[in-house]
Amino acid sequence: MVSSFSVYEDTMHATQSLPATSGMYAGGMQIPKTVKVSQLNHYFGEGELRKQALHQNNLEVRRGEIVIMTGPSGSGKTTLLTLVGTLRTVQEGSLKVLGHELNGATRDAIVMLRRELGFIFQAHNLFESLTAFQNVNMAAELNGLDHGAAKERIDYLLNRLGLGQRIHYKPKSLSGGQKQRVAIARGLVHQPKLVLADEPTAALDEQSGREVVTLFQELARDEGCTIIMVTHDNRILDVADRIVNMVDGHIRSDVAVHETSVICEFLRQFPLFADLQTSTLTEVADKMMVAEAGAGDVVIRQGDPGELFYLIRSGGVDVIVEHDGEASKVAELGEGQYFGEAALLRDEPRNATIVATAPSVFYTLGKADFKAVLARSKSFVDELRNVLASRT
Amino acid sequence: MPLPNKTPLAWKNLTHDWRRLAVAVAGIGFAVLLMFTQVGFQNALFDSQVKVIDDLAGDIFLVSRAKYTLAAEKRFPRELINQANSARGVIGAYPLYTELTLSRLKNLSAGASGKAYPIRSIGFHLSDPVFRSPEVNRQLSKLYAPGAALIDLRSKRDNFDFPMEDEAALAAAPAELANRRVTLVGTFKLGTDFAHDGNLAMSAESFARFFPQRVRYGDPLSVVDIGIVHVENGADVLEVRDAVDALLDDRVFVYTREQFRNEEIRFWDESTPIGIIFTAGKIIGFVVGMVICYQVIYSDIADHMPEFATLKAMGYSTGYFLRLIVVEAVLLSLIGFVPGLVVSAGLYSMLAEATGLQLQMTVDSVLLVLVLTAAMCIASGMLAVRKLLAADPANLF
Repeated sequence: MVSSFSVYEDTMHATQSLPATSGMYAGGMQIPKTVKVSQLNHYFGEGELRKQALHQNNLEVRRGEIVIMTGPSGSGKTTLLTLVGTLRTVQEGSLKVLGHELNGATRDAIVMLRRELGFIFQAHNLFESLTAFQNVNMAAELNGLDHGAAKERIDYLLNRLGLGQRIHYKPKSLSGGQKQRVAIARGLVHQPKLVLADEPTAALDEQSGREVVTLFQELARDEGCTIIMVTHDNRILDVADRIVNMVDGHIRSDVAVHETSVICEFLRQFPLFADLQTSTLTEVADKMMVAEAGAGDVVIRQGDPGELFYLIRSGGVDVIVEHDGEASKVAELGEGQYFGEAALLRDEPRNATIVATAPSVFYTLGKADFKAVLARSKSFVDELRNVLASRT
Repeated sequence: MPLPNKTPLAWKNLTHDWRRLAVAVAGIGFAVLLMFTQVGFQNALFDSQVKVIDDLAGDIFLVSRAKYTLAAEKRFPRELINQANSARGVIGAYPLYTELTLSRLKNLSAGASGKAYPIRSIGFHLSDPVFRSPEVNRQLSKLYAPGAALIDLRSKRDNFDFPMEDEAALAAAPAELANRRVTLVGTFKLGTDFAHDGNLAMSAESFARFFPQRVRYGDPLSVVDIGIVHVENGADVLEVRDAVDALLDDRVFVYTREQFRNEEIRFWDESTPIGIIFTAGKIIGFVVGMVICYQVIYSDIADHMPEFATLKAMGYSTGYFLRLIVVEAVLLSLIGFVPGLVVSAGLYSMLAEATGLQLQMTVDSVLLVLVLTAAMCIASGMLAVRKLLAADPANLF
């Protein structure tokens, strides 16, 4: 047990800097990522007018994820989107899209890569001279889609988007929402691996907006299509697998929605947190970090000062209490359960040793954050008593 | 890559707005008309310069080396005609005499000005086959009378106001050529050009009688203006030309019909301002067309910048856009060319009727203007395409 101690130290350090809500550990690692942004800086203007638009952006997007980017206007989300979409030249840092490094990529490589992307712009940008079908076909024929297959897919998409009766209409005879839906079909027809959309539902009524995002979800699920969209439309936030919030060129938060809800569910089982608002729980989840341990690793040692609160994301641990030089196992904890809170609450040393029984992932919360959360719980003192009273 | 089954975007964009298309077609049609007018007038004027060559019989022509144009009165000795006659493949060589400086025709009819105006006199031996024109050949017998001449029906009427439609009245009309009495026994058709306001055709004998001063001492027929050589049937004209050329000394040029014609046109085209004037006219038409075409293509691009930027974002390459604009330019030139051609043809026939100029819509001039129109549209398309290539898809978000 002593021999494995140093191993555990190393492992803890290696993963300490990953936020729990990034979702990196939820389904295991996936390589390569559809989009991998590392240390990306971007500037506008020249000389004295040079202004930094993006600061040290890091972002990973997995295949089949639907990512919604939010943030006030001027926060850099559109700049990041155009960079990912190869529409701007990468200046500093690394940006990999579908496995291609864009920093220093050749013009031809970018033109070829663009054919694997789908763009949906806020303005429909349809050719007035072409029918809905022909407009969509402009994207299909560029990718060498077989004529029959292209027709089938265009018909399917336009029907799906409620334009079945208007396939051969020109944009002049279509309403704003219908034109936008034609543009969406154009962005999706060539089965892009990555769709970049800017307010795709802004011009749409609730029902057709819902139809569009449902279609996005189907494409993500069935074709492994990754979708990154900028939107202010709260009605469609529920389809997001990940929400990236940007402020002043910084990625302020990058949250895997499902993972966050899992963490919130786990946290809610902790009596002290049970009456907290979802928004508060989400903030707590945001502050948690990832820690890993192998089977047999000591996570906490009795007598050490307590610094972290642990939530078990996966795996399991034994709780071992040493009394008069004799160690006895008092409990086994599994997924969704927690430990380490007592030392934080009482400012005491650890009262037990925790040993991982299997390769495990923990989400940890620092002492200061832990106490800050508790302070917001009105019934904290009462709860505390109950909790402490119920513990052995 | 605009393959046959691809969306014909160039065509669709061009024909989408029929009002704009109509304006474009009108503009390009106008440029086409301008160019046709210039080409037509130039051809007509050049054709009239060489009309006399076209009307002469014969396959090979001899002219003095000093004769830089038909109107230059440089002559060569008549012996050379006889020498040419002996060359292999030649069946006959005949002299043609022309006179302009001494040849002044005065109309002495009552009411006429009585002034003498220069007219070209053409003299030939009546037994020699020098004219193609059946009108002249039909009236040869009339020319045996001393002082008899045929007058060109297309001569400038202001200067030569004779009753040409009425043969009897014409013959009775009192007239003097180089201060000698001349009888106008009939008419033929040749036409005027830059140097000549009219023509008279007469026998060599009459010619010698009218212009004895042509040669200071001696026979006025001892010097020849143009030698006309007939080649045996089936002989190669070029070979015979070389044979004649080898036989004669270098006082004369020996031309085939085509060379003779080209040399004469080349003189007017290159050594006089006429060529420059018409070239300038063509350039103006070309530039006008280019400006119009540029406007049409440029505004088409400017109106569709977001759409083209979207195509760029999709992955359409620069090559696609270049091809798109070339196709659009070629389509535009073809659409504009047809009405321009139709209107020009109408104008040609109207003007030909009104002026007597040889305005003809030849295959060569149609092809020339078509190529110029296409070049004009493609050039302006290439100027306008820079705007399209500047379309930045990053601005779409």
